[in-house]
Amino acid sequence: MLKIIIPTAMLMPMTWLSKPNMIWINSTAYSLLISLISLSHLNQLGDNSLNFSLLFFSDSLSAPLLVLTTWLLPLMLVASQSHLSKETLTRKKLYITMLILLQLLLIMTFTATELIMFYILFEATLIPTLIIITRWGNQTERLNAGLYFLFYTLMGSLPLLVALLYIQHTLGTLNFLIIQYWAKPISTTWSNIFLWLACMMAFMVKMPLYGLHLWLPKAHVEAPIAGSMVLAAVLLKLGGYGMMRITILLNPTTNQMAYPFMMLSLWGMVMTSSICLRQTDLKSLIAYSSVSHMALVIVAVLIQTPWSYMGATALMIAHGLTSSMLFCLANSNYERVHSRTMILARGLQTILPLMAAWWLLASLANLALPPTINLIGELFVVMASFSWSNMTIILMGTNIIITALYSLYMLITTQRGKYTHHIKNINPSFTRENTLMALHMLPLLLLSLNPKIVLGPIY
Amino acid sequence: MLRRTLLLGLCRGPLGRGLGTHRGGSILDRDGKMSEIKKKIQSILPGGDWNPLYDTSYLPPESSDVVIVGGGVLGLSVAYWLKKLEKPRGAIRVLVVERDHTYSRASTVLSVGGIRQQFSVPENVQLSLFSIDFLRNINEYLAVADDPPLDIQFNPSGYLLLASEKGAAIMENNVKVQRQEGAKVCLMSPEQLRNKFPWINTEGVALASYGMEHEGWFDPWCLLQGLRRKVQSMGVLFCRGEVTRFVSSSNLMKTASGEEVNLKRIHEVHVKIDQSLEYQPVECAIVVNAAGAWSGQVAELAGIGNGPPGTLQGTKLPVELRKRYVYLWHCPQGPGLETPFVIDPSGTYFRREGLGHNYLGGCSPTEEEEPDPGNLEVDHDFFQDRVWPPLAQRVPAFETLKVRSAWAGYYDYNTFDQNGVVGPHPLVINMYFATGFSGHGLQQAPAVGRAVAEMVLEGHFQTINLSSFLFSRFYSGEKVQEHNII
Repeated sequence: MLKIIIPTAMLMPMTWLSKPNMIWINSTAYSLLISLISLSHLNQLGDNSLNFSLLFFSDSLSAPLLVLTTWLLPLMLVASQSHLSKETLTRKKLYITMLILLQLLLIMTFTATELIMFYILFEATLIPTLIIITRWGNQTERLNAGLYFLFYTLMGSLPLLVALLYIQHTLGTLNFLIIQYWAKPISTTWSNIFLWLACMMAFMVKMPLYGLHLWLPKAHVEAPIAGSMVLAAVLLKLGGYGMMRITILLNPTTNQMAYPFMMLSLWGMVMTSSICLRQTDLKSLIAYSSVSHMALVIVAVLIQTPWSYMGATALMIAHGLTSSMLFCLANSNYERVHSRTMILARGLQTILPLMAAWWLLASLANLALPPTINLIGELFVVMASFSWSNMTIILMGTNIIITALYSLYMLITTQRGKYTHHIKNINPSFTRENTLMALHMLPLLLLSLNPKIVLGPIY
Repeated sequence: MLRRTLLLGLCRGPLGRGLGTHRGGSILDRDGKMSEIKKKIQSILPGGDWNPLYDTSYLPPESSDVVIVGGGVLGLSVAYWLKKLEKPRGAIRVLVVERDHTYSRASTVLSVGGIRQQFSVPENVQLSLFSIDFLRNINEYLAVADDPPLDIQFNPSGYLLLASEKGAAIMENNVKVQRQEGAKVCLMSPEQLRNKFPWINTEGVALASYGMEHEGWFDPWCLLQGLRRKVQSMGVLFCRGEVTRFVSSSNLMKTASGEEVNLKRIHEVHVKIDQSLEYQPVECAIVVNAAGAWSGQVAELAGIGNGPPGTLQGTKLPVELRKRYVYLWHCPQGPGLETPFVIDPSGTYFRREGLGHNYLGGCSPTEEEEPDPGNLEVDHDFFQDRVWPPLAQRVPAFETLKVRSAWAGYYDYNTFDQNGVVGPHPLVINMYFATGFSGHGLQQAPAVGRAVAEMVLEGHFQTINLSSFLFSRFYSGEKVQEHNII
């Protein structure tokens, strides 16, 4: 594990000591190398996990997320080059340092053995993200967005600390490898209900659950492109990952306690998809679509069947790549037209045909077209929830239809039709942008050839 | 609840008058401290944009989809129609930048306020026809909840254009065009003129055209305030500042025939705050130039006209300031209530103002005697020498008039053909014009606003085809000239 952590930590001094015209090249190239190293984690042995030390381990659930995190750093750096070109050198280096720091904390979070260490790093990831959103965001509303983001997550996770300390006291350890075997079923008393709530709320806010999702559209819209990418792709998955880990300790209370959250998720799924149909701001549309997809993951984790866990893991990876790609596409639009409103930049297919191809692929992935892993994830979750209760198929089916509707609405509004007069002279697509989209799409397409990597520990 | 009943009950009663409550205030908030505290709390709570460092509420937002330079009737009309015609409601963010919120030098409020369909260019007739329909139904278009309805005091008295022998043929032609577009105009011989308006001296008049419906004058201030109110309720942001700089990026592109053009797009507007060095860069996608008489200067800021003369790059926006005087006089023996807006063949015009024998009027000076547009001072000698004699000759009762007051206003004068410029610039591709109407901008404002909004949202004119009013005519030389215009 140190073979990934130390190089990532050393990326920071490398950024500060690089020559001015080499900072982007150095950081992108070396972070790409680190991500290739992390690919070796995907070679998981059957049922068990790869244990590197007393502090770090990776199993089939955290390995894909780890690879996603390390893969995303070079992509974030490539995407940020344009909007940072006008900043001073120190600011650029500071921005890159924030991204690297965030990456480091995320790597350690996904591979932490001890739940307290997981918690500390979980909270620590908030700080670089907050700095990126509030310092480099676009509008004045970013201060508001940062506040929402910080306090929603903090409020949710403070009870988690108390709960973890209590569990440490009763169970004796919080080492994940041990609690797998030592977890005792807990009775459904009031205090255990509060324990359940304390454990789960942090992750519910992070996912986000429908009623607690207000921070997400704000944070996504106001964040700069790298902030949006890492938020959508990885930080949301922290919630899913945490939920999957901690539910081991909370049986069988989950069977009762899950009901209100299942209702919220199922209803919220349809609601946020419908909101997407009425959005005029492109980034806001993609943000709400994230909420909708994550609601599926919450449903899957709360049902706790093998198929649903497989679906949740696949969906997390698929959504990470797709959402991040959509944000990059929206940003390429924004950098040219300087406006995020969809109707002001229409008919881009005639002007930028190659980018239209990437838009098409991303939109098709978003609406879960076979044979992408988006479909595998969604399908497994739908099937598992159908077996849990037959009635959920109605809501799930509605959600799939509305997802298709808004993905195609977004595609058609931005790409088809006659282009508006004031976008006649936009720059053609840069190679950098095409590389960015290709690097997003390539893993997604390759994974559809071999999805068992991302299907999690149950496979 | 209690406060509202207090307001309703006490507004009329002696208690309400005694305490001097203003509209919207309550007894419990006499010195304004309550509302201040409430405002402070509201700004801190999530949901508002709170900057912990300093108060920035006077600055425009950091980005806006459309920036409209100029908050006169044309700018507000474009803002209104943009918000009205956008497909999903609330899609576009519009910012109106107006230098002077008292509108002390704006052409809109210093205008005489007439509206007519008697133009010779068919598009002008169509524009005025839609505008009068807008004004007639203004309370359906500009209704705001809880606010009183607008009364623009439209006097439908019509326009009376008089033509001498030489102009009679042109006038007949014009009337034919106007009738084709749907205006209701009738031609009168001198004898019919004398029968209808006995106070006119028809010497030298061969023909007259009289608008029978949809013509007259109205209160421009009311239209401006109505538009402002409605547009604010639709979510358009206002900013008090001056546009000092456009930051643009340009691309060298090839046309279909292979020649190279340099297309520019403005991506940032620097708005300078009044009496301060502070400016705010506003990131924008579209800029609308509705700056009226100062549109030429705004266009120069965008780089329009920087190039060798005779090329498209070197074609400037030919809109400049021209000062025009309006005089108000009192004449008890003057023509009565039925007086239309009379335009003499010499260029002098007058209309009735109010019900107390007051009249407004003036005259367009010739090119040689153009007054200096540096200030808005009135030249009373102009009235004595140039306005009064033809007036007294046409209406003998005006020999004994007494000038009460006078003011001066600017025309956004289009030196090319005295008609408006509408639509995008061919090279600075995201600057749209809505200016240059040379004295008839107020009466065509609603229709022009709609045309520009259609151009921005759809890409082409949908209802009234104003393609002959595009900027490119300045380069290609195709004038859209009015015959007989003040």
